[in-house]
Order: sequence, then C-alpha cells, then structure tokens
Amino acid sequence: MGFHVNAQQFDQWLAGLKEDYDVYAPVCIRGGSIYSDADCIRYGKIDRIEDVVFDKKSEYSFKEAMIPVSETLFYFTEEDCTVPPARKKGAVIFLRSCDLSAVQRLDDMYLGNGPEDFYYERIRSRIRFVLMGCSKSFDSCFCVSMGTNTASRYDLCVNVRTDGFAVDCPNREWAEFFMHCGCEEQPVTPDRVTENRTKVTLPENLSTEVYRASLWDEYNKRCINCGRCNFVCPTCTCFTMQDLFYTENGKVGERRRVWASCMVDGFTDVAGGGSYRKKNGERMRFKVMHKVFDYKERNGYHMCVGCGRCDDICPEYISFSRILNRLEDGMKEVSGS
Amino acid sequence: MDTNTAALKKNAFRVTKERNVTCIRIRVPGGHLEAKYLPVLQEIAEKYGNGTLHITNRQGFEIPGISFEKMPEVNAALQSIIEGLEINQEEEGAGYPAAGTRNIIGCIGNRVCPYGNYDTTALAKRIEKAVFPNDLHFKIAVTGCHNDCAKVRMHDFGIMGMTLPRFDADRCVSCGACVKKCQKKSTGALTLSNFRPVRDPKKCIGCGECVLACPNHAWSRSEEKYFRLTLLGRSGKKNPRMGENFVKWIDEDSIVKIILNTYDYVKEYIDPDAPGGKEHIGYIVDRTGVEEFLKWALKDVTLPEIAEVTKPLYWKGVEY
Amino acid sequence: MTQNRYLPFPSRILDVIKHTDIEYTFRMEFSGEVKPGQFFEVSIPKYGEAPISVSGIGENYVDLTIRRVGKVTNEVFEHYTGDTLLMRGPYGNGFDLDNYRGKELVIIAGGTGVSPVRGVISWFGDHPEERKGMTIITGFKSEKDILFKEDFRRWRNQMNVILTLDAGEETEDHKIGLVTKFIPDLELADVSLAQAIVVGPPAMMRFSVQGLLARGFKEENIWVSHERKMCCGLGKCGHCKIGDTYVCLDGPVFNYTKGKTLID
Repeated sequence: MGFHVNAQQFDQWLAGLKEDYDVYAPVCIRGGSIYSDADCIRYGKIDRIEDVVFDKKSEYSFKEAMIPVSETLFYFTEEDCTVPPARKKGAVIFLRSCDLSAVQRLDDMYLGNGPEDFYYERIRSRIRFVLMGCSKSFDSCFCVSMGTNTASRYDLCVNVRTDGFAVDCPNREWAEFFMHCGCEEQPVTPDRVTENRTKVTLPENLSTEVYRASLWDEYNKRCINCGRCNFVCPTCTCFTMQDLFYTENGKVGERRRVWASCMVDGFTDVAGGGSYRKKNGERMRFKVMHKVFDYKERNGYHMCVGCGRCDDICPEYISFSRILNRLEDGMKEVSGS
Repeated sequence: MDTNTAALKKNAFRVTKERNVTCIRIRVPGGHLEAKYLPVLQEIAEKYGNGTLHITNRQGFEIPGISFEKMPEVNAALQSIIEGLEINQEEEGAGYPAAGTRNIIGCIGNRVCPYGNYDTTALAKRIEKAVFPNDLHFKIAVTGCHNDCAKVRMHDFGIMGMTLPRFDADRCVSCGACVKKCQKKSTGALTLSNFRPVRDPKKCIGCGECVLACPNHAWSRSEEKYFRLTLLGRSGKKNPRMGENFVKWIDEDSIVKIILNTYDYVKEYIDPDAPGGKEHIGYIVDRTGVEEFLKWALKDVTLPEIAEVTKPLYWKGVEY
Repeated sequence: MTQNRYLPFPSRILDVIKHTDIEYTFRMEFSGEVKPGQFFEVSIPKYGEAPISVSGIGENYVDLTIRRVGKVTNEVFEHYTGDTLLMRGPYGNGFDLDNYRGKELVIIAGGTGVSPVRGVISWFGDHPEERKGMTIITGFKSEKDILFKEDFRRWRNQMNVILTLDAGEETEDHKIGLVTKFIPDLELADVSLAQAIVVGPPAMMRFSVQGLLARGFKEENIWVSHERKMCCGLGKCGHCKIGDTYVCLDGPVFNYTKGKTLID
C-alpha cells in the first residue's frame, strides 16, 4: 500500500517501532571522518526521519548495522561453553536497492554454503528492511550493470519528496499505522536508478584463465592491502576466529569472530608459517574473481552488487569497476585473440 | 634626507643597503590568502618598487626597491590587503602599526593536508589578532602535526596539532595497521595485545596516524583539539637552539594566554640596552631563571586535565 | 532453531604418543562417524583453534597428530592423558576408501602429510584382500623427523614401503632423496588403473603429481589433499577458499581433475 507521509507522521511511526526495534540508517557523524574537521556518513541509530542522510552514499554499508564487527560466540571454561544472549531488540534498517540486493548474498553465504549459521540466523530473523528510493545515481554506482537497481523484498520503501515522503508499505501491520494516522493513500513505487555514469561489462567467457593476464601485476604495487574495500563492502562475509583468554592457563575465556579481509596479511596463513597469495595483485585477483566469478559458480548470480563503495574508499584510488571492465581485455590477452 | 629609521622599521619598512631605498614587509598570518590580493602586490611592486617580489621565510612578502618618499603611498595602497587579512591596525591608510612581533607562520594544515590535526590558518589568525601590533620580538609558528613542516621548534612559541585518539574495540578488525604505522612513522606508542592495539599514553604524541591507518574507524579523533606547545627555539648568532617541549595536550585558549602572559614578562625583564630594543625571549629566561618565567607565563592559565607540563625545562643548543 | 555448530565439545586425552621432539599424536575420545583425511578444529589453551587432520581412527577415539609449529600448537603439548581439549568436527570430505578398493595403490606423503593418509595406509595394510599391489613413498627431512615409526615396522610387512630422507646416509631402513626420485621406478601391473594419493607441502605435491603423470597415471586416478587455513570449518569464514572451492566443505581431498584447477 502507498501513502504520502509527512515528517511528523514518519517520526510517530519510528517512535512506535522503538519497543521492538532499533532503527538504523545512514547518518552524518560530525567530525567522524579520519581527517580532521570532516564528517562521515555511516550507519547509526535514528529517532527521527530528519536524521537520515538521503542525498549521500554511506561510506560503509548497512552491514555495519547488521553483522557485528566483533561478535562473541561463546564464553568457555574447561568443561562448558556459554552462548551470550541474542540482542534484546530486532532492527529496522534503512538501505538502498544495491544493499537490499546484498542481503540476499549474505543470506546465501550464512544460511547456505554449508550449514546454517546460528549467529547470523538469530540476528537476521529479526530484521526488517526499509528501502530508500534512489532518485539519482552517485558517481561510482554501477547497480544497473549488476542488475541490483530493482530490489523489491522490503517491508517499507521511502522516496523523498519536497513535501514529505512517498511510502510504499507491503508490511500490513505497518501499513495500518499509516492508514490510522491519516496519511493520504496513493500508489507508490520505489524511485529507481535506470542509468549509472559508471558502467561495467563483464566478458561472457570469463574464466579462471584470466589469472594469467597481466592486469593484476599493476596492483602488486598500487594496492596497499589495507582491506578497506572489504570492510565497506555489503557482500564481504569473511571473518576470523579469535580466542581471548581470561586466565593464565588459557582454559577460561571467550571465542569471538571478527570481520576479516582477504586483502590483509595473515588471511591465508597456515600452521608452520606458510601463506598463499603473497602479492597484492594476487589478492586483488582473488577478491575480484570472488565477486564476479567464483560466487556465481556456486550460487548462479554475481556477488558484487555495484554499490561502488570500494571505489569511493580506496586511499590509492584503485577503481574496482575499472578492474571489472579490464577483464575483457584480460581474457583476450590469455586466449591470444 | 631626514628619516626616523625607528619609525620606519616600526611601520614594517626596512633600512636597506641602498640609500633612501626601502622595502615593505607584508604580513600573511598562517601563510594563506585569497588570490585576489596578488594583483595588489603586483601593482605596488611595479608602481613603487623594482617590479620584484620576495617570498619571505616567514610566509609573507617583501617588496623591495621602494624609495623612502613613496612610503605613504605604499601604505595607502596596502589598505585593502591589511583589511582583507584582518590585520589589527591603529590608523587607516597608515600601513602596519608594528613589526617587532613577526608574522605567524603556519603550514597548510587541515584545510588541505590529511595529517593536519586542525585549521592552522585559523589559529594563526587568532594568535595574530591577540598579539599584534606589538614591538617586542616574538616569533610564533603553528603546524598541523608532529611532522612539523612549519619548523615550529625554531620559534619562541611552537604549536603542533594533536588529536587524542579514541579506540572503539567493537570496530577493531585486528589488522594491525595502526600498530605498524605507529611503529614505522611515529613513536611506537601502539603494541598489539590480545589481537588489539594497546596505546601507551606516555609515548603517544597524538599525531593521528592510527586514525588514518585504521580501515574500519576503530580509531577516531577526539572532539577536542589538542596541541603541543614548544618553547623558546631560536636561530641567531649567539646560541641557536631548538624549542623544547613545554606542554603536551594543551588547548588553544591556554596557548593564547601563555603567549600574552609572556609579553608581560618580557616587558618586565627585557634588557633596556638591548640593541634595537630586540632581545630573544630565551636570553631573558636565561637571565631570570625558568621558574620566574613560568610564574609569569602560567598566570591564570587553566590547562586541560590531561595536559602534561615538562619539568624541568632545559635548553642547550649550539655554543660557539 | 538453527543448531549452533560453533560450539565445541570437550574430549578427553586418552593417550599421548611422542614421535619426534616436535610431533606428538594425541588419542582423543570420540565416538561418531569419521574418515581418514577429515579434520577437527581443536581448541588449544592460550592459543586458539587449529585445524588438525585425523591420523587414526579407532572405536571411541580419533588420533590427532600435532606438530609443534609456531605458537599455534605448542600449548597442546602441555596437555597429557586425562586432560580435556575442546574440539569441533569432524569436517571435510576425507578419503573415500571405495575409490581404491580392488586397485593398485600408490601413496606419496611428505612430513606431517603422512597423518591424513595414515588411516588409509593402515586399513589397506590390514586388508590386503581389498586392494592389489600397494606402495607408499614417504619423505621426511631427517631421521629425527620420522613419524609413526611403529607403524612403519608393521607396514613394511604388509606393502612396499619406500621411506626416504632429504639428506644423510642411506641405511637399510631409509633411502636418501626426494619422494619424486622414486616415482619413475614404481613397479605397477597396470598404470592406467592404478590409484595414487599425494599429500604434503605444496611444492612436493606439485612435483609428485607431475612425476605420476609422467609415469602414466591418469589424472582421474590421482587424489590430493590440500592444507589451507580452515578456520570455521563450515564454509563461512572464507579463509580456505580457492577459486570457487571451499576446502573445508568440498575438500580437503580432491580428485586431481578438480585439484589441478585450484590455483591460489
């Protein structure tokens, strides 16, 4: 059902969610940049719709509101493991179409690809999504190329209008609220981007043969393996287990899992000091192929959603979308045509 | 030609090698100005000077080749620049009212530089407003971080920007980037323990390298801006020396107050026979003892709680 | 409700066998289905978890052979009989013995690579009727690095055993040279049907497979086991991924036709 909702009505709705949910959206964190006297758009809890930043892309994806960067799996003693309780509240998360598409990737990784993940499931089952309509594309976005500009599995969609908000609300319980607070009914469809400045074309014949292409060498030096591209990515799911010991004998402590990056040193370290993909170009290749090849081999669709955050964050100005567009030449090079 | 050279110098002109020819010194606090003032300088140089412009060591300009008689006209022509750069003036159209306290130097700071921990130009201007005009020989410089590109340790008062890094353990991904950067580029204040960085506040200089290195905003900047204040560096013939650490984690208000207090101290103790009424503060402190100086400098100053004052203060420097 | 597969279970240490100064086998209490080549995630006090492959299987126990490398596994050595360790698993596919039944079998293993195939060697050693000719080529750095000495004594009576050391003097018990040196002279009734298993450090595996192919082995008759940083064991953490393959889910044992496509 569609409604015209003003800010006051929207805030009433948000207030009504408070009991059961924390509401997260892109917000402006004053002085939150790594640079002095500069702000940063990241996910934070909101109380009012005016807190939501609609006209800029968040530096980090909704993932930071959904999956803890560091999550305690259990506390252990010599004989026992205790799992910490689940979060008290569920979460309502504002996100764009690319990010909503990323949710499907997270689901397929955590709920599929081997057994279901207990910790993900207990968070995921209590999350509702609010789609933020995109009236315009940002420079680095390539959602149209990745087919992620039309995600539709939302509980509510909000488009910004000059006199308020155009809201589509498939969630019946929520729709009743808007009906009762006198919001005018109107047909609403999500604002969609239909063209991006950045366009990506992946070669039809892409295969692991492209490993041999020379394009990766450039990133041995250019990439500084900081991992920012992974941490801002809405679809990166890797983590590392850490054991923290409270006692001298190491028998009491906690195990947690922490976001990990395939670009950062140590990701492939095995016992005895061995490691794989030592060069940054190899790591870049691994990441790129994961996003637009390997994942598809297992799941039938690309992992990358084209949000462009990895392009925006890279301190070395390495453009992921440019690498994708270089794959075609890479394939030509290795197939000798 | 009869000219009062003291008055000429106080008006920011100089006595030069060439008889009856002077040179005007333009103050640019923080070394930053709107480009629209450059044509004004060009016009003065071409109309009254010899058509050249010198960029000074202290981030101002000197326009050489001006004949003494043109000084009033030059002062009038300078009015837009003096006003535009908000330089305190005593009489409109009469040029600079003093020259003893030199232009405040500033690196480019956080308006441009990623390492800059504050707006150096703004602080330079604030200090300029507080201390100028003054005939006493004070040299002050501000710089954005401990890289000290502005060489503030060569000044009576050196100000280096700091941020107090805050750590959010919940955002740490244990990548070790902060520790590596701190070890390689800064003082090695960070070590890794239990997968996470531990900060040694004694070693930390608030440079912000950890904040810049962190790929996940686990480190962030403090809302408050802090500084290191270094004291009594100087060049010169007698006993040049680097400024020594005075207060770490000081705030802007305290810096300004300490500088103004020092003017009172110098007025009290300057050598009445100092050539040209000019004596580096350091020599005065050598004479009165550090304790007396500190008594004056810290009068009514309330330092932030985390401020650390170096004691005892000691300088050595180069002896010839 | 989703089962929490991250929770380990406590397992008693039934016995500790010291092979070398740095290599021990821990016999851990375990009853459940498990195959050679599978691995457990073992919690090591003061360190954390490490993937350890199964080196032996018995009723109510599994053997885990742990090499003291780095800080990772040092702490386990402080644990002795009667103590408990926290474990998860078994994970991975392991070796399917059916692939080798009724065939000639060659097993090439280097160093701790012997652990994951020890169960395969022992089983076919004890069941000669289940296979045709059998040769194992095992390589260790030096005499003091030899693992499973007791087993070798038994194996020598059951199959053709080539035990080789990287350097030193040749004796009755061992030869000198890399494992690859002995591949060309393998005596086989029908190389086109013979099966081979190769486990060890990456370079050793690569050259051994090359040797086997040159000797006439078919790619589909060669099996390899990959060591990677298996961290969660559940296909989630991403550390063991190679290409589109998760070693913890799809491996660590691969037929070479698949194994050759795994490029880091």
